[in-house]
Amino acid sequence: MLFKRSKLLSLLFVLLLMFVTGCSNTPKGSENTSPKDNEKVVTFSMTGDIGDLNPHTYFPNEFFSQAMVYESLVNYGEGGEIQPWLAESWDVSKDGKEYVFHLREGVKFSDGSQFNAAIVKKNFDTILDNRKQHDWVELINQIKGTEVVDDYTFKLTLHNSYYPTLQELAYIRPLRFVGEAAFPASQDTFKDGLKSQIGTGPWVLSEYKKNEFAVFERNEQYWGTKPQVDKVIVKVITDGESRVLAFEKKELDFIFGNGVISQDSFQFLKDSGKYETKLSEPTATRTLLFNTNKEATKDHKVRLALNYAFNKKAVIDNIFYGMEQKADTLFPPVLDYTKINIDPYEYDTEKAEQLLDEAGWKKVEGKPFREKDGKELQLEFLFNSTDNIQKSIAEFVQGDFRKLGIDIKLTSQETTTFWTTAFQGKYDLLFTSTWAVPFDPHSYLASITTDSENGGPDYTALLGLPEKKEIDKKIKKVLLTTDEKERKKLYTDILTTLHDQAVYLPISFQSNIAVYHKNISGVDFLPQEAEVPLTTIDVN
Amino acid sequence: MGWFIIKRLTSLIPILLGISLITFILLHLIPGDPAVAYLRMSHIPPTDEAVAALRLELGLNKPLYIQYFEWLGNVMQLDLGMSYVSKNAVWDEMLLHLVPTIQLTFAALIFIVVISLPMGMISAIYKGKWVDQFSRVVAFVSVSMPTFWFGFLLIYFLSVKLDLFPVLGRGTLAHLVLPSLTLAFGYIGTNMRLLRASMLENLNEPFVVYARARGVSERRIVSRHVLKKSLLPVVTGLGMSLGNMLGGAVIVETIFAWPGMGQLFVSSIINQDYPMIQGCVLFMSVIFVVCNLFVDLTYSFLDPRIRLEGGK
Repeated sequence: MLFKRSKLLSLLFVLLLMFVTGCSNTPKGSENTSPKDNEKVVTFSMTGDIGDLNPHTYFPNEFFSQAMVYESLVNYGEGGEIQPWLAESWDVSKDGKEYVFHLREGVKFSDGSQFNAAIVKKNFDTILDNRKQHDWVELINQIKGTEVVDDYTFKLTLHNSYYPTLQELAYIRPLRFVGEAAFPASQDTFKDGLKSQIGTGPWVLSEYKKNEFAVFERNEQYWGTKPQVDKVIVKVITDGESRVLAFEKKELDFIFGNGVISQDSFQFLKDSGKYETKLSEPTATRTLLFNTNKEATKDHKVRLALNYAFNKKAVIDNIFYGMEQKADTLFPPVLDYTKINIDPYEYDTEKAEQLLDEAGWKKVEGKPFREKDGKELQLEFLFNSTDNIQKSIAEFVQGDFRKLGIDIKLTSQETTTFWTTAFQGKYDLLFTSTWAVPFDPHSYLASITTDSENGGPDYTALLGLPEKKEIDKKIKKVLLTTDEKERKKLYTDILTTLHDQAVYLPISFQSNIAVYHKNISGVDFLPQEAEVPLTTIDVN
Repeated sequence: MGWFIIKRLTSLIPILLGISLITFILLHLIPGDPAVAYLRMSHIPPTDEAVAALRLELGLNKPLYIQYFEWLGNVMQLDLGMSYVSKNAVWDEMLLHLVPTIQLTFAALIFIVVISLPMGMISAIYKGKWVDQFSRVVAFVSVSMPTFWFGFLLIYFLSVKLDLFPVLGRGTLAHLVLPSLTLAFGYIGTNMRLLRASMLENLNEPFVVYARARGVSERRIVSRHVLKKSLLPVVTGLGMSLGNMLGGAVIVETIFAWPGMGQLFVSSIINQDYPMIQGCVLFMSVIFVVCNLFVDLTYSFLDPRIRLEGGK
């Protein structure tokens, strides 16, 4: 009996071992399949899964992978210049309401089917069928009709002349094109997803394992400049430190993006001298947003005081190691129409205290916080708990403002809950950021005017502002004006009002980072912040 | 034996029902409306009409007990609903993440058994000698060192510096070594000390003295008599560890980019993916209960007295 049992136990153990090894040996991961001779492969990582790779939907889709496979009619080039892409040229009617696109001939989808006006219309129509879901893109609301003129001519009719039309056509989503065979039976790509991922872009998804990796192969039929490497492997790595270690071990060829590794790690990799590092021009603005519906922050003087009380330099020096530039305006001044002449609110605690006194929030003997009518000055600061940078800044602010007699109550929430609370306006101070080019400034400002699901929390936050209606009117006007001078004047007006009202507290301009091994070249920052320069990257 | 198993299995029914009830109610206690969460995930504006229509469709407007029984009926047929995020069946998503978790767990279990049992045994036999002192240090380190730190140390030295293993990801057998060792490490100390303590206790039992008196070799006494009896607490320990590990090891999975149950659970919480959270909680509880059952059965296998008592 005893003998039998020990035999049984060892049999169990062997079975267990076989199971474990058996599971592991199933062929998966392209690292197992030995690369062909001279095949060039680059590997990098992202924090999340690429989702179902559908250009007409949002989360959990990632911008960068949608941009790899699908293309737009026009391209957002260097400095915001609109370049021909799937459309070789276009004519705009005098009243600015009709756009006729002359499509590039000979472009094929990755399944070999032709790219033509009919498929362009079909994609537009399925997107327009779900207008409500895309209404953060003002162009979608402005589209009146789509029309196939001939095989390679497509006409777009708008309700009004809308100046950012071409810019919004260049967005990574939703106005990009999938092939005929990708459409589901219902033809509704938003509700029912895609049958397969067929695009015209330089890459084709060849292997995919959810939450593990995605492999993209070069689209050999690609009409444009073909990528330098044959294959791109995108691994899912949630942890920043693990990403750094994998990079050091050369399991990753480069690290790219914003917030993908900590500032400490970036500094460490840079100082080691073993790798190439790059920092992009400012892309978006990290900013705090005041809720103008709340008792204290409704007061202009309190908002001003907090703007003076915030030590941006200390935050940049200590939290960002001086890598980010100080922000005094809502948008980086390098964007179209965003350079305005204003007096920045420089760090000045005396002025801040004076303003708080004037606002009626007075220091009380023996108490740590200022009071008005017996109520303590307590502000609720809402931030996203998954973002380490937000957390550090929030804690810094709490300590710094305490000295001025302001009690900051920190509330951290997970991403989804955070946005829900933000949209409901349940906070005094909110940590947010602008959307970077090509969305800034016009799409971001447009989102202030509507309570859109895919927009921002700014709409609700600014409702308490007496000038809100006026600002909204101007934003709506600036988007539809055809006169360049008028547009410039309106933008200056809007941005100056927002600055004067001190509803935002811009902290710094964030940048993309790139770290790569010395044998990698072509890691350049692209005009659209979310794109990864995979077509130019090469392995030497 | 058969009777014992049947009895234990029957006693599972009320436990599982209790679990299902608690899981169901817990989810209804989470702040927020599942209908609103669903709409947000689908990028549909949660207008009052949309929410009302969806509540009707999801059956959220029915009385709570009816919702429970309907849900329970579906669960019995392994239908745990549809994920709000991926729009796939919860069960399919869980299966997808279960395989890597099982792999990781059993590999870790092998490490635990292979390392802690011999070390526990040796340190009991050579009590007070350097081997024992050493194993004590290992045990202290094992229980007190944070998992993430140990994991990063392993990656740094064994992978980045010595180039013995890949840093992360899933693929070959080599990919499995570091994560499973990291996962196992925390459990090694406990199990080692458990075995040592219980062996020391049993080494002083009369039957050992009697065996020695009969002239049975020390080796035989330890391996045939003492070890087997001393394994009982270790089996409990291992069973609990197994339940814990199968529920998903969030930290290890995050560090090593291992797509297991832990990651699924955490991401479903972050995304407010209600059906997925429900599925994961239910699954983890069931796994725990089943592991307990398994421990009990092993007990009866190792110690006939339990079996006989149960069979009365």
